[in-house]
Amino acid sequence: MSADSAPAAGLPATVAAGHGSVIHDIGYRAYDGQRLGRAQIVRALCWYSLRSAFGIGRGVKAKIVPVITFVIMCLPAVVDAAIIALSRTHTRQISYDTYEPHVRILVLLIFIAAQAPELVSRDLRSHCLPLYFARPIRRIDYPAAKLAAFFIACLAMIEIPLLLLYVGTVTQVHGGSAIWSETRALIPGLLLGAAWALLLSAIGLALASLAGRRAFATGAIAIFFFLSLTLATLLTKIGEHGTGPAPPGSAPSALARLSGLISPFTVLDGLRQWLGGTTPGEIPNPGHYGVLYGLMFLIFLAAGVGGLIARYRKVGVA
Amino acid sequence: MRFAYFDGRLGQGNVTADQPLRAGGPGQLPGAPAAVIATTALTKRYPGAVTALDALTVTVGPGITGLVGSNGAGKSTLIKILLGLLPPTSGTASVLGTDCTADGTRIRMLTGYMPEHDCLPPDVTATEFVAHLGRMSGLPATAAKERAADSLRHVGLYEERYRQVGTYSTGMKQRVKLAQALVGDPRLLLLDEPTNGLDPAGRSSMLDLISRIGTEFGISVVVASHLLGEIEQICDQLVAIEGGRLLRADTISSFTQSSEVLLIEVEEGSQQLATELARRGLEPVPYQKALLVRLAGEATYDAVRDAVADLGLPLNRMEQRRHRLEELFSDEAAPAFETAGGGDVR
Repeated sequence: MSADSAPAAGLPATVAAGHGSVIHDIGYRAYDGQRLGRAQIVRALCWYSLRSAFGIGRGVKAKIVPVITFVIMCLPAVVDAAIIALSRTHTRQISYDTYEPHVRILVLLIFIAAQAPELVSRDLRSHCLPLYFARPIRRIDYPAAKLAAFFIACLAMIEIPLLLLYVGTVTQVHGGSAIWSETRALIPGLLLGAAWALLLSAIGLALASLAGRRAFATGAIAIFFFLSLTLATLLTKIGEHGTGPAPPGSAPSALARLSGLISPFTVLDGLRQWLGGTTPGEIPNPGHYGVLYGLMFLIFLAAGVGGLIARYRKVGVA
Repeated sequence: MRFAYFDGRLGQGNVTADQPLRAGGPGQLPGAPAAVIATTALTKRYPGAVTALDALTVTVGPGITGLVGSNGAGKSTLIKILLGLLPPTSGTASVLGTDCTADGTRIRMLTGYMPEHDCLPPDVTATEFVAHLGRMSGLPATAAKERAADSLRHVGLYEERYRQVGTYSTGMKQRVKLAQALVGDPRLLLLDEPTNGLDPAGRSSMLDLISRIGTEFGISVVVASHLLGEIEQICDQLVAIEGGRLLRADTISSFTQSSEVLLIEVEEGSQQLATELARRGLEPVPYQKALLVRLAGEATYDAVRDAVADLGLPLNRMEQRRHRLEELFSDEAAPAFETAGGGDVR
C-alpha cells in the first residue's frame, strides 16, 4: 500500500476530498460486496491457524521450532534417498509404516508441545475469544477449525518426509513393478500417518487448551506424552525381561503386550501391528490383544476431541 | 411494565421490530427508521439465583445510545444476549429486526462488538489482526485487507499499524479494538466501556471517535459505560439500568432538562445578592463562595444581570453548569444543584 506513505497521517479526516487524490480524507466507505458464509469463515480460520502452526505470518522467532523440527524429520528420508542413489544397491532402509520411529516420536513430541499452544493457548491468554464468538460463527466452529488446522500441520510433518523417501526411492528403481511395489508399501504408511496426525493433534490441542500460559501448555503436553511413553516402554521391558532373561523364541508376556496401551505413541504402534504391520516397532506384537489397541486409539481420540469441544463450550465469551 | 421508545436523532415515529433491514447503505438514513434493539420482559437468571436481567423492556432507535449502569447492573449480560451468545431465561430480544435466539449468526454478521477487557494478542501487527478478524466477519481476503487498513485509519492508526500490538499504548490498543469492531462494516456497534483505562485526553478522543462513527459513518452505536458524565456528551439517547431493571430510557435532552444551573460569583455582598435573587424568584443556593440558580432560559440571565447591576456588586464570574447525569439518578440529589461541585463546566 504505497498510498499510505502520504504524509497526511496526522490530519483530521474531516475535509472531504472531491477527487481521489487525498488518501486520508476519503471518509467512511460502506462495504456492499460479497459476504462469506459460515463454512467459508471456518475455512479461513483453519487456514490462518495452519499458517500459524508453522509460524507463517508471525515473527522470525515463531518459525524456529517448526522449521528445525521439520528439517530433522526430513533428514532420515533425505539421507536414505542419498545413500540409495550413491551406493546403487537400490534398497530402502527406512520402512514407510514406522519411518524412523525414534526420530518421529521425538520430533512430533517437540512440534506438538511447541506449536499446539500457538494455536489455542495464545487466544486464551490474550482473551481474544470474545472477538471470535461475536462473529458469525458458532461455538463449535472455533475448536473444529483449530483441530482441522493442527491435524493438517501434523500430517504435513509426518507425510512430507514419507513422500520424500518415496520420491527418492522410485527415482532409483527401474521397472513398473518395482515402482508399484514401492507405492503399495507407501499407502499403508500414509494411512497410518493420518492416524498419527489425528490422534496426536487432538490430544495435543485438548491439553494445550487447558492452559492459557504457553509455558504451562507446553509443559503439560511434553509431560503427558513423555511420561506415558517412558512408562509404557519401561513396563514393556519389565514384561519382556522381568523374570530374568527370557528364553529365546518365547512369546512376550501379557504385561509386555498390554503396557503399550498407556501411551498414545505405543497405542499407534500397537494399532499398526494389529492392522498387519510387520516391521518391528516400539512394542512387541500385541497379538490377540490387538483389538484393545484399536479400542484405545478410539478412546484417546474421543477424549481429545471431546475434551477440546467441552473446553470451548465452557469458555467465557464476553 | 415499563416501556420506553426513543425517537432517535434520525428516527421518525414508531416501528415494529420486525421491520426488515435495509440492504446495504451506510447505516440509518432519514425515512428508514427501525428499532435497532428491542427487548420485551427480558430476564436472565444465572444458576445460584443470580438475576442479571429482570424483565427488561426497552426499545432503542438509531443513533448513539448510552447504556449506563454501575458495575454488575447487567450491561454485559444484555450485550451477550443481544449478540445471541447467551440464551435469555425468558422474554425476547431482537437486534436489527432479527430475533437473538433464532438467528444469532445473522446478528453477529451485522454487529460489531468491542469487549471491555484487553483482547488483543501482542505478537501480531494491528493490520494483520484486524484483517484476520475482517475475514472472520465474512469478508473475502482482499476486502478484509482493504477494510482493515480503512478501519485502522478511521480510528487514527497510520504507520503504527505495521507494528506489533504488544508495543502499543493503552489508547492505541483501545483504537485497535474499535477498528476490529468496525472492520466488517456493521449496522450496529456494541461498545463495552470503550474509555476503560484511558487518560483524560485519550477519553475525549475516543468519545470524539465514537461520535463521528455515529454521525458521519451513520452506524448506530450502543455505548455501555458506568460513567454517565462521560457518555452523556455524545449520546442521543440514554438507557439506564440498575440491578437488571430499567431505570429510565429517554432522549438525552429530556434527561438533562432542568439540570442546568448558573453559577454567580461576586467579589463581595454574596448575601445581599442572594436576598435580591430570591426576591426575583430565583431560589439561589450557596455553593462555596458563589451562588447557584436553576437556569430557565434567557430570563434567568436577565434577572441575574439586573440584580447584580441594581446592587452595584463587582461580578467575578458567571457561568453555565450542567450536572452529571448520575446526580439525577441519586435520590439524595433532590435539590439537584447541591452536588453541583463535581459537575461539568460548560
